[in-house]
Amino acid sequence: MQQRRVIDQVHTNRVLLNGQLATPKWWLPTVTLLGLFVVVGWVLIGFMLNKGLGVTGLNRPVFWGVMIVTFVFWVGISHAGIMISAILRLTQAEWRRPVTRTAELLTVCSLLTALLFPAMQDGRVWRDYWMMPMDWARGVWPNPRSPLIWDPFAIGTYLTGATLFLYVALLPDLGNLRDRTKGVMHVFYSVLALGWRGNPRQWKLQTVGGILLSALMLPIFVSVHSVVSWDFAVTPGVEGWHSTIFAPYFVIGAVHSGVSAVVTVMALMRWLWKWDDFIRPEHFDALARLLIVVATGWLGFTFLELIFAVYSQEGQEVALREMQIFTWPWNAWFIVFLLTGYFIPVGMWLFKSVRNNIALMFWTSILVNVGMWLERYFIVVGGLSRKTPLVNSWATYRPSAYEWAIMAWSFAWVSFLLLLFARFFPLVPLFEQKESQTFSAEIKIGRARVPAVLREQE
Amino acid sequence: MASHAGSKPQNVDPAHKAESHGAHHKPAAERPLPEQVMPDLVKTTAAGSKFKVAALVLAGLSVLGVIGVVGRLFGGTGAADQKEWGYVAATLGFMLTVFGGAPMVSVAPSMAKANWIRPVTRISALFSLAGVATALVLLALVVALPPLVTEGARRRSIWFDAPVYSPHFWSIVGLVGLVVTGIGLWYANSLPDFAAMRDHSNGWRQRWGKKLARGFVGTQGQWRSLRLRIGMLGTLYFLVLIFVHFLISTDFAMSMVAGWRDAIFPMYHSLGSLQAGIASTIIAMWAARKWGGLDKYLGHDQFWALGKLLFAFSLLWFYFFISGFIVFWYGRTDSDIMVLDLLIRGPYKYAFAAAFLLCFFLPWWTLIWNRVRASVTGPAVVAAIIIVGHLFDKIRIYGSAWSTDPARIHERFLTVIPQTHYPDVFDIFVIVGAPALGILLMLLASRMVPVVSIWDMKQFLMLSKPVKYMKGHALIVAKPD
Repeated sequence: MQQRRVIDQVHTNRVLLNGQLATPKWWLPTVTLLGLFVVVGWVLIGFMLNKGLGVTGLNRPVFWGVMIVTFVFWVGISHAGIMISAILRLTQAEWRRPVTRTAELLTVCSLLTALLFPAMQDGRVWRDYWMMPMDWARGVWPNPRSPLIWDPFAIGTYLTGATLFLYVALLPDLGNLRDRTKGVMHVFYSVLALGWRGNPRQWKLQTVGGILLSALMLPIFVSVHSVVSWDFAVTPGVEGWHSTIFAPYFVIGAVHSGVSAVVTVMALMRWLWKWDDFIRPEHFDALARLLIVVATGWLGFTFLELIFAVYSQEGQEVALREMQIFTWPWNAWFIVFLLTGYFIPVGMWLFKSVRNNIALMFWTSILVNVGMWLERYFIVVGGLSRKTPLVNSWATYRPSAYEWAIMAWSFAWVSFLLLLFARFFPLVPLFEQKESQTFSAEIKIGRARVPAVLREQE
Repeated sequence: MASHAGSKPQNVDPAHKAESHGAHHKPAAERPLPEQVMPDLVKTTAAGSKFKVAALVLAGLSVLGVIGVVGRLFGGTGAADQKEWGYVAATLGFMLTVFGGAPMVSVAPSMAKANWIRPVTRISALFSLAGVATALVLLALVVALPPLVTEGARRRSIWFDAPVYSPHFWSIVGLVGLVVTGIGLWYANSLPDFAAMRDHSNGWRQRWGKKLARGFVGTQGQWRSLRLRIGMLGTLYFLVLIFVHFLISTDFAMSMVAGWRDAIFPMYHSLGSLQAGIASTIIAMWAARKWGGLDKYLGHDQFWALGKLLFAFSLLWFYFFISGFIVFWYGRTDSDIMVLDLLIRGPYKYAFAAAFLLCFFLPWWTLIWNRVRASVTGPAVVAAIIIVGHLFDKIRIYGSAWSTDPARIHERFLTVIPQTHYPDVFDIFVIVGAPALGILLMLLASRMVPVVSIWDMKQFLMLSKPVKYMKGHALIVAKPD
C-alpha cells in the first residue's frame, strides 16, 4: 500500500507551485466558461429576488424544494475539510498530508455557497439583517429559540473557523510564494504571509495553532449539520421530520458526502496539474477505506431512521414511507439512492484494485454524491409532499427548470472558486510534503525494511 | 487484574534509559528488553496471595448475585410483577455496556495499525469472558419480559407482526452470539501465547497450552491466518455488538413504554458501551499495573492515548444525549412531554442527574486537562466515575421502563408516570453479584495466559524504536502493510 518516494524539496517546490508561478493552458478557458455560467446564475438569482420566489414555481405544500435540498447538500460537502484535516491531524494519520488543503478549501467554498440558499429562499434577502441582534432602537430581537436563527450563527462560526484554519495552514506556503515572486504578486503574498520567515518560534506557533484549531473546530463541525438537521427535526408538524436521529444521521451523511467530494477533487487535481508524485493511489486507497467505514455507519443510521419511522405504527408516518419506498416515481429514486449512496460504491471499494484505480474512485465518489443529494431530497421534499389536514393541494411537486438552473449554478460557482484559489495558492501544502519526507523512516526487522514514521513523544 | 507472584519486572532497555538522562523534557518511558518479555509475562500467570483473596471475594459476591436472581425468580411475586425486575434489567444493560464495549477498544486501533494499542489488546479482549455473566442475567430476565401480544393486543416493537416471543428468542441469540464472537476474539488473540505457555511453563498451564495452541508454531501461514482471523472476528464483534444493543435497548426499554419512539436511543446505548468499554479497559490496566507489576508494559503512552479516546467519547455521549433531548424538548407533543417526564425530570431524576454528571460533566472537566490525561491515575479515576455514571444511566432508563403499568402498554402514549421504585436486597445482590461474576471469570482466565499479550508486546517493541530527536525524545514507529 505504501508507495513512498524520496522527493527533494526543489522538486516539491517546482511541481506544487506550477499553478501559481505559471498559468496552465487549460486554466483560462475553463475559468472563463465557468465564469459565464456563474454570471448567468447570478442573473437568474437577481431576477428571482426582484420578481419573487414565484418564478421558481414553488407552491404549497412544498415550499422548501431544490434550493433547500441543495443548501443541505453543500453544508454536507463542507464537512470534508474538518473531517480530513482536523481529525486526521489529531490522529496523526500520515496519508492526510496531500489532502488537507483541498478538503479545507472545499469546506470554505461550499459554505460560501450553502449560505446563499437560505437567503434566496427567504425571498426578501434585504431583510436578512433581522436575524442579527442589531435593531437596538426598536427593540426588535431575533428569536434565539428558533432553529432558523441557529443556522446563520452555526454556519457563520464554521465559516470563520474554517477560513482561519485554511489560512493558518497556508502561512508557510505563502512565505514560499513571496520569495519566488516579483512585483504586485510579491506584495500580495508579502501582505498575506504576515512576515513568515520559518524560524522555530513561528513553526511552533503554527503547529500549536493548527492543533488548537483542529480541536476547537471539531465541536463546531459536529454542531453545524446538527443545527441544520434540527431545522427539520424540531418540527413535529411535518411527517418524517420529527426524529431524534437526525443530528448524527445528518453529520455522518455529510462526512460520507464530503469525503467523497474530496476524492473527486483530488482525482481532478492529479489529472489537471499532473501531481502523480504527490497524490498517489495509496491516498485514494486510504480514503476509500475510511469511506467504507463511514458509509456503513451511514447505512446503519438510514436503517434506524426508517425502522423507527414505522415503529410508531401511526398511519401518516407509515403512509409517507410507503410513498417513498413503494410509489412511483419515488420508489425508483429510492432504489437509485441506495445503489448510488452505498451499494455500488462500497461494493466496489471492497476491492483493492478499485481503491487504487483513480478513474474508478473518481466515478464512484460522484455516484455517492448523487445518492446523497437524493437522500436530502427524500428528507426535505418527502415529508412536505404528503397531504396533511391543513393542506388543500394535491399537486405533486416537480422541481422547475429555474430551480435546476440555480442548483447547476451552485456547482459552477464552487468550481469557479476552487480554480480561482488554485491560481494564487498551492492546493497541496508544500510544508506538509516536506515534513512527511523528514518524518519518514525505516525500521530493519531481520532482512526486511519496514516503512516507518517518526513521532515526537508527548 | 493479574496479581503478581514474584517481583516486578526490572529489565529495562539500558540504551534507552541512558538516553533519557540529561534531556530537558521528562524522561522517555522505560521499555522492557525484548528477551525479558516472555519470562516477565509468563511469571504473571502464577497465582499469588492477592489473587486468591480477590478471587475469593469475587466468588462470594457472585454467590450473592445468584441468590439475588433466584430470590427475584422465586421470591415475592416472581416474574409476574414486571416492576420488580427493573434493577435486574438495569444490571443487564449495565453489564452489556461495560463488558460488551471493552473488546472494541483494541479492535479499531489495531485495524488502523496503531502500535500503542498492542499492550492493551489482551486486557480488552478479556472482557469478552465477562459476557458469560451478562448472558446469564439475560436468561433470568427474559422470564419476566412480556410477550408482544398481551390481552389480545400487540404492543409497538421493532418486531411488528413477528411471533410473540421474538424479542425473547432473538435477544438470547444475539447476546450469546456476541459472547461467542468475543470469546473467539480473545482465543484468536491468545493463540500464540497458548503456544508460549506450552513451551515456557509447566504443570496444568503447559497441558492446557498444548491443547489450546492447536499446533501453533509460528509459521508464516499461521501468522497470516491469525491476523486475518483477528481482523474478521473484530469486525464481526463490532457488528454484533451494535445489533445486540439495538435489540436490548428497544426490547427491554423502549418498547416497554407506550409512545416512546426514539430512533437515536439504540445508538446512544451503543455509544455509551464504547465509552464504558474504554473506561473499564483503563481500570483493568490500572489494576494490572498496581497489582500485576506490569508498569513497564502498560505505560503512560497507553493511558494517554486511551485518555484522549475517553475524552472524545464523553463528548460524544453528550452529543447523542442532546440530539435526542432537544427534539423532545422542542417537539412538545404529548408523547415528547411524556418521555421527558418519565426519563429525565420524573421518578428517576436524581439517577439522571448523576448519570449526566458522571458520564459527561466530570469527565469533560477533568480529561480536558493535559496533566490528567497524561497521568496513569487521572484517566483511571475518571474511568471509575464513568462506570458509576453508566450504572445510574441504566437505572434511570430500565428502572423507568420496567416501572410502567403493563396494562397501559397498548396506549398511544403513557399517561400515568410511575413512582420511583427503590431496590430491595435481591436487587442489590444482583447489581453487585452479577458484575462480580464477570470479573471473576476474567481473573480466572488471567491464570491461563498473561493479561498483556506476549506476541503483541514483542511486536510492539520490534515495530517501534525510541530515538533522540533534537532536544527531546521521539519514537520511530513502523507501519507494515
